[in-house]
Amino acid sequence: MKLGDYEAIVGKDSIQELRLLARKLSGKVIQNVNSTFTGGGVAEILSRMVPLLSELGVDARWDVIKGDKAFFEVTKKLHNALHGRDEQITPQDISIFQETSQKNIEDLSLYGDIMFIHDPQPIALVERKRGIGKRWIWRCHIDVSKPNEAAWNLLLPWVLRYDSVVFSAPAFSTPLSTRQFLISPSIDPLSDKNKELPQDTIDAVVSKYGIAKDKPLIVQISRFDYLKDPVGVIQAFRLVRRSMDCRLVLAGGTATDDPESEKVLSEVMDMSSGDPDIHVLSIPAGSDIEINALQRAATIVVQKSLKEGFGLTVSEALWKAKPVVASAVGGIPLQVKNKFTGLLSHGIEGTAYAIKQLLGKPEYARWLGENGREHVRHNFLITRHLRDYMLLFLTLEYPRDVIYI
Amino acid sequence: MSDTFGWSSETWRDLVIPLAVFLAGVLATLWLRRIAYNRLERWAKRTKWQGDEILLQVTKVSSILWCLLLSASLALAVSKVPERWKNPSSDGLWTLFLLSLTLSALSLASKLITFYGERLQASQRAIRLSNTITSAVIYVIAILILLDIWGAPISVVLLITLFFALVIILVFRETLINLVSGLQLNAIKNIKVGDYIKLETGEEGYISKIDWTTTQINVMGKSTVLVPNSKLLRSTVINYGQTLKKAREPFRFFDRAHLKELTGFKAKNLRELADILKNAPPSVVYYHTHQFLEEQPYFAPEPANDFAVWVTDTLGNELLGEKLASVDAFELLTPEALRAKIVSIIEENLSAGLETRESLPGGEFHFMKSVSAILPTQYEAHDLREFLETLRKLSLSSLHLHIFEPRLRLGKATNDFSIWLENSLDEKELADKIAKFDPYSYTLEVTRSLLIQLLEKHIQ
Repeated sequence: MKLGDYEAIVGKDSIQELRLLARKLSGKVIQNVNSTFTGGGVAEILSRMVPLLSELGVDARWDVIKGDKAFFEVTKKLHNALHGRDEQITPQDISIFQETSQKNIEDLSLYGDIMFIHDPQPIALVERKRGIGKRWIWRCHIDVSKPNEAAWNLLLPWVLRYDSVVFSAPAFSTPLSTRQFLISPSIDPLSDKNKELPQDTIDAVVSKYGIAKDKPLIVQISRFDYLKDPVGVIQAFRLVRRSMDCRLVLAGGTATDDPESEKVLSEVMDMSSGDPDIHVLSIPAGSDIEINALQRAATIVVQKSLKEGFGLTVSEALWKAKPVVASAVGGIPLQVKNKFTGLLSHGIEGTAYAIKQLLGKPEYARWLGENGREHVRHNFLITRHLRDYMLLFLTLEYPRDVIYI
Repeated sequence: MSDTFGWSSETWRDLVIPLAVFLAGVLATLWLRRIAYNRLERWAKRTKWQGDEILLQVTKVSSILWCLLLSASLALAVSKVPERWKNPSSDGLWTLFLLSLTLSALSLASKLITFYGERLQASQRAIRLSNTITSAVIYVIAILILLDIWGAPISVVLLITLFFALVIILVFRETLINLVSGLQLNAIKNIKVGDYIKLETGEEGYISKIDWTTTQINVMGKSTVLVPNSKLLRSTVINYGQTLKKAREPFRFFDRAHLKELTGFKAKNLRELADILKNAPPSVVYYHTHQFLEEQPYFAPEPANDFAVWVTDTLGNELLGEKLASVDAFELLTPEALRAKIVSIIEENLSAGLETRESLPGGEFHFMKSVSAILPTQYEAHDLREFLETLRKLSLSSLHLHIFEPRLRLGKATNDFSIWLENSLDEKELADKIAKFDPYSYTLEVTRSLLIQLLEKHIQ
């Protein structure tokens, strides 16, 4: 995609603003580092963000750290623990994490003027700050509102060595000596996952998965993960179905850094087996058109996460002007302004009640959906994300509340 | 002898009669010419079109020759000159008339082109080019007529001439269209130098020059747009009229992008909310009382300030939420005053023992502030017209910056617009009206519409 392609969606002024900010970053190299080139929200964001920054004239590059299976099992454990799950971080886990981190610290070429480190896996690279200087930003994409203390304390000494830390929701921040910023992730309105689709394509995908269009369709799109609570969604759906006829689609894939997905999928399959109204679809990575079509085919989109970094699937649904029922966790309340752009819930019963409200009041549901689309247009598209990142880089140079550019 | 005499008598008659006809013709045509010119000159003075006076001036001398030639032609017709001499003589007279007419046409064309060229402020190059083209056309026509008079074959010459004429028309097609459009623009006089115009294609500004082929539009004193006259004639053009009073300093429009900075502080009940707020920097107070205006301008009705929303939605205290929502940021002139008012409302509630509820885990109030990046825009206004037209297309974030931020974030007495109107345009009355306008009561789009109405009324 080219930057000009977004002009029709966000307006000429927004694109000009991006070009102006980019000029101020001329000559700086931004080095992004994370743990994978594929799978998961971070890789998806970077794969779109880096080329657009380059088109703007910002020298943005992207590298990944190396790690074996044991390392990624530890980081997954850390990930869950930071989300607040009760995980035992053993001395051996710490040792595996530190050893692989040390290897990456020694092996990875760090050439950026601004080091932009994503998520906990490469967090220890900041050890090199003393040696090479530069500006360092840690971008935390996960929900650390109630982290497991052991996991957070393991990371904290590194966190404090960064010049700035970026979170996706206000609830993730705590008083720190490091400057903290709030930058929401974003969706790309022109990607396969979010672009407009002809009705024929939507119908073909729905038909391919054997989903009859005879009833309202409740859809949750998420990878199969305990934190996305697919079991809770089925329970809420069954409460709704007592009084309102409808179907449920649970669709998602797996990420390369998440060994737990298969186990969750199997549990969900067991729970839904024999129920013709529940469709559990394991969709391979890269099936973006299919995900898009399922979201567009939905009557209501649900995101009943127990924990959420941000929950980009909510923005995806809102962008398609779908009425959304979502848990008030992580970054979701930023996207779903309760009763303005969707309905927030706090449990299984609340989710069921909200779904019933929307099924019974289609005009209200439509109004929420339209509001949601505008909310995403202003706050959660990739162009806003680009602007925030460039402003963030500039704040490293101008540490004031008002910067004249 | 008598034969000789008789021959001489006949010859005398043959000479006298044509001579008499010639002299009578000269006297009659000169007399008629004089009467005609006197009347035409009087008529020309009454008309506004100066072209008729040029026409009379150019033909005044030539017309004497035309009288002589007409008389000579009549004399030749009544004379007994043998036919073999009569035709060449007649052709000779026509040739003389044609030469005289050609010279007059050249002079007339040159004077008209110069006259209109100067009126249209055309460049000397354009005037010279037009003169050359017109002269060439006149010469070609004259030569063709001359050939016809002397019985030469003109078909081939005509075809070649037509061919070259077509080539020239094709090559200079746009120029010719714009040239004709320039003449039309001048004739209809709908727009003139100094008018502020806006084309349907988006170009707008003051007309600084109308040339033969193009019209120059000065865009906010920063750049010049050249619009081909033909485009100007075809487009829908709004003409706002003549230049308004220039400001001593132009108003430079800026835009604002902001980044949200987290403080890490959060409150789960009213006590904590009040305590943290008391020590929070002004930028935190500003953020939580203004962010919804800019970030959610599309919600109607828009949500209240963050404190009111949290107290209502999370703590479920609708009465206090209502009180906080009604805090008038427009009346409170500084962020400190705004903070004091909010804290006093919360503390009043606390002292009455009305609120003991706490938020659910995850529902805490998170204190934030914003880092503003002030960005230049392409817009600059030198007078009220440019200011008004820019206001129509200004981004909402720019409007927010100039209306809300000066007072509560940048420590100015009022909004940027009022300051400029009073200081640079001496429009104190208008400045006061805008300063008294409460933008917190409207969405940004409605604020824009009301400001536009105010300015339009003032300009009228």
